[in-house]
Amino acid sequence: MIEIKNVTKSFGKLKAVDSASFRVEKGEAVSLLGSNGAGKSTLIKCILGLLDYSGDIAVGGIRVKDHPKEAKSLIGYLPQEPLFYDMRTLDIVRFFARLRNVDEGRPAEVLDKVGLAEHSSKYASELSGGMRQRLSFAIALLSEPMFLILDEPTSNLDAHARAEFLRLIKDYKENGKTVIFSSHRLDEVDYLADRAVLMKDGRVVVDEEPHRLRQTLGLGTKMNIAVPDEYAALAASALSGAGIIVHGRNGRGFLVEVKGGDSLHPLRELMSRDIPVLGFSVEEPTMENILEGADRDGN
Amino acid sequence: MEIRNILILAGKETRESLKNRWFVLYTVSFSVLAVLILSIAPGRNEITGISGYGRTAASLINLVLLFVPLIALITGSISISGERENGTLQYLLSHPVTKAEVFAGKFLGILVPICFSISLGFGLAGIGVALRGGSGDAAEFVLTALLSWLLAASLLSVGFVVSVFSRRASKAIGVAVFLWLLIIVLGDLGIMGTAVAMDLGIKQVFALALLNPAEVFKIASVLVLSPRFEILGPVGVYAVRTFGREGVIFILLSVMAVWTVIPFACAFLTFSIWRREES
Repeated sequence: MIEIKNVTKSFGKLKAVDSASFRVEKGEAVSLLGSNGAGKSTLIKCILGLLDYSGDIAVGGIRVKDHPKEAKSLIGYLPQEPLFYDMRTLDIVRFFARLRNVDEGRPAEVLDKVGLAEHSSKYASELSGGMRQRLSFAIALLSEPMFLILDEPTSNLDAHARAEFLRLIKDYKENGKTVIFSSHRLDEVDYLADRAVLMKDGRVVVDEEPHRLRQTLGLGTKMNIAVPDEYAALAASALSGAGIIVHGRNGRGFLVEVKGGDSLHPLRELMSRDIPVLGFSVEEPTMENILEGADRDGN
Repeated sequence: MEIRNILILAGKETRESLKNRWFVLYTVSFSVLAVLILSIAPGRNEITGISGYGRTAASLINLVLLFVPLIALITGSISISGERENGTLQYLLSHPVTKAEVFAGKFLGILVPICFSISLGFGLAGIGVALRGGSGDAAEFVLTALLSWLLAASLLSVGFVVSVFSRRASKAIGVAVFLWLLIIVLGDLGIMGTAVAMDLGIKQVFALALLNPAEVFKIASVLVLSPRFEILGPVGVYAVRTFGREGVIFILLSVMAVWTVIPFACAFLTFSIWRREES
């Protein structure tokens, strides 16, 4: 378990993290959400003991302030922008393997796991951004740590590399390990996280399960529903009567907003009145919507 | 602090130094010049009374004074600043290592290759002397090499001080080169100028010389090599007559040790306390 109690970190007058508190239970995956400067990376650095802070952080029952080295030995960390010494890939992993006192065979094993075995003789500078990210992940996995902390792990990856990388993290999580990751992408949060911790101006403003995050922030799913022209007036009144927000018409379609997570509610409503539905599309709230929601809540 | 971690970090640092083309160039230049000095410094010096190994070691002192402080100051100055600038220091510290282990590992890992290149230069010159008959005391030759190690350690410590105070490696190198000029090129002139300007006595001039690690190395090496301490001038005569030859050597070795320990401690405290969050 990782326990963060009333953690505050200031840089001069700026409070980068302001009285943040939350717990991450064993086997849980928690996403840190927030815009740039929300305090996610600073909080991660506090957990790693890289920054001084007031408050308390315990990793696996070890107080980071008292025993940073022991706490760090329980954590595998993937930085936002992995930077390596100008060494061969396998040598880099071997170096960190020695520091973490793991078996000699482990470096080759983790490189194979992340799909870098065939690149092990390449210098780090010769690897692509995605490969460097995977190398960093391989190093994080070296000692099979209880906790994995990933700072925007997919920010530099293309779509294919991102999907592949998320699968690796998911596998790790499914093996019962605990994961904290910061992200700007809601789809990643939905895919990986059991809980989402939304930060704004250094404060934790929401700590919820991802699907409840939308409700808490009053965000609905938007739907475009197309009906025949002759049913348009009837459909509009049926939807409004059912308490569904109708944002307006768009060609043959209605743009409606559904709150409460029941996306099928408008469709059921129309079908119960025998109004034919020609087609529909669903538009989930974006991270921008979430952050705007947090701004409204924060204000 | 785990010795094992220090050795792992030192090993990595040493391997990186040995791959560094500037370091290789430095080692090759030092070794080639050491051999060249051997070839142009044959026989016995009638003034100093030094011959064979001693004569070669005496000739190498100037080479050491030129090369060793420069490489020690520069490599020391970029040790922390370089890693901080390219972001690898913070990543390293996110692993289960302490700042003390990183600091000690880096120091050891840089000092070892510098001592290796000094030993290579002295070794090649020593082999040359042996092939030519090898007169004189080989122990004095080895002692001079060991004094060169101490000089490297003391100026590496000074380089580390520069490194922890510098945000950028380029700035750190600039400061290191300036310090090298100050210590090596302007050192003697500074002592002479200060002595004349302030009308210092011989005792004060000796004390002033102890403030410069390169000067300390020079006096210690000459005392180790030459039976005639008069060649050090009035200051040397004063020091030997006051403290005895062994006493002066002991003072000089202690000063070099202090020049290693104090800057190292200052650099470490700065790195681990004052600027602990700038990694």
